[in-house]
Formats: sequence, structure tokens, C-alpha cells
Amino acid sequence: MIGRVIADVRRRGFSAVLVDDGSADATPEIAERAGAVVVRHPVNLGQGAALQTGIEFGLRNGAEFVVTFDADGQHRAAEIETLIDALTESRSDFALGSRFLGATVNLPLSRRLLLKAATWFTRVTSGLRVTDAHNGFRAMTRRGASRIRLRQNRMAHASEFLEQIARSGLPYVEAPVTIEYSEYSLAKGQKLSDALSILLDLSVQRLQR
Amino acid sequence: MIAQLILTGLLGGILLYAWGQYRRAPVIGLVSMLAALTGLYFVWFPAQASRLAALVGIGRGVDLILYVWVVISLIVLLNLHLKLRAQMELITVLARQLALANASSQSTRT
Repeated sequence: MIGRVIADVRRRGFSAVLVDDGSADATPEIAERAGAVVVRHPVNLGQGAALQTGIEFGLRNGAEFVVTFDADGQHRAAEIETLIDALTESRSDFALGSRFLGATVNLPLSRRLLLKAATWFTRVTSGLRVTDAHNGFRAMTRRGASRIRLRQNRMAHASEFLEQIARSGLPYVEAPVTIEYSEYSLAKGQKLSDALSILLDLSVQRLQR
Repeated sequence: MIAQLILTGLLGGILLYAWGQYRRAPVIGLVSMLAALTGLYFVWFPAQASRLAALVGIGRGVDLILYVWVVISLIVLLNLHLKLRAQMELITVLARQLALANASSQSTRT
């Protein structure tokens, strides 16, 4: 799966950065062969931490735009251009992919309800008028990326990301994207128990300075 | 009297600990200080504790003090959790710098 995803991205002329968050299998080698630059965490830190590492790598290497893209095959490389076009046309600093403005393939009802609840929660807590709160497919300008400092290493990073966009005051736009669910991506996706630990993580972070 | 002195010593220790934590985690520090001060008050004025306990339907004043102690323990536990999170953040920053430095030295070599 990972080789195909990276090959798709590279075919469209984009650089691909894969953050290896302590994989025990051959994922980094496959990604490297497919044309990705691999940044290796010395220990497993979590998805949020990997995302921040990827963003910082992009910034350090002069990226004009940074796009976050899941490696489990649920995003379409062809839609990277859709997000970047949305950024440039609207002169925004963040383009957030929305599956509810675009399309979903094989999205189970339980997951749809969970995502709707998460979106409602995000609209209330961050004030952002978004239709999809937990979509990992997003693009940002260099200026936007430099305002993101994710501290939530685990699953709560998606909500934290939106909170930081709201706090930055920079313009954002939503763009329609397609999310294709497979057995593989559903197994890796969030569940109700994750939602509870996300809420707990976000609450605990508010107690810290 | 002996028990009162021992409890005063323990609660005084908690009070100092909470004072020390106030700058790092203001909410936790403040709540801990309030809980410790309440505990101290009830240790020295047990009749007040009994009256308040009867008012809130707990029964004996000593039970109320015990509950206060449990609350303090839970707050200390939460504070410990916050400290672990802060340490994890430091580890993350270090690990990230290491990963980025290794990646850039590799790309320089190739």
C-alpha cells in the first residue's frame, strides 16, 4: 500500500516525505524505493508528532506548500492539486479537505455519525465553520505551516490543528475531497474509544500552560 | 492532639508542594492549596467538620476529612500525569531534532 501511495504522489510531480514513527516492518525501505524522503523517529512518538516532524522537515527544506496526506490509501493524489488550487485561488493559508463537500466511498454509518459529532464539537470549541473536522488531507502555505506547533502526539492532533488555525487568525478554506475507505484504512481509523481519549487529552492539555 | 499535629504536618507539606506547583500548573496548585487549607481547618476545628458533614449528609466529620484527603491525593496524581506529559513533550522535541538532523545529513551525503 505505502509504495503505491508514494508512487502516486511522486508521479504528479510532488516531493513526498514519509515520517517513520518506529516501524518494525519494511515500510521505510519501501517508501524510499518509491521515491520518498524518509525521516526516522528514533522511537515511536505518535501520529501527531510524526505530522509535526513532517511539517518541520518541509519548512526546513524550503517547501512553498505543505500537504498532509494519509499513507493508508484513503486519499487521492490527484486531489492534491485541488487543495493547492483552493489555497491560491482564495489566497488562504490553509485548505482543509472535506469529505462532506466531496465524496466518500464505503463510509460506514457509525463512522459517519462519529465524524459528524466531532465536527460539531470542533465548530463549538474552535469557532471554525468547517464541515469535516477530522480529515487528514489538508494543504497549507509556508506561512500557515510555520504557525502550526502540534503538541498532541497521539490522536487529538486533528482537533489541535484546527484550534491552532483558529488562533492564528489566518484565512482558511475548505475544498471537496474524496475519502475512500477500505478494510485496511478502517482498521487503522478512529473508533469511539479513541474519541473519548481525544476528549480527555484535549481537556488535560488545557490544564497545562 | 498527636494525630492533629501529624495531620497538620502532612497537610502543611501538601500546602508547600501546591505552592511550589502554582507557577507550573496554576489550576492544580490553587485547588490543592484550597483543599489543604480546608483540611487544616477541619483538623483544628473538628466540631465544624462534624457540623458541615451533617449538613451535606456525610455523617461524621472525620469522614469528611478523609474525603478531603482522597481529593488531595487525586489532584497530586493528576499533577504527576501533567508532569509526565511535559516530559514526553521534551522527549518529542529531542527525538524530532535528532530525526531532522539525521535526515538532512543523509540528504547531504546523497
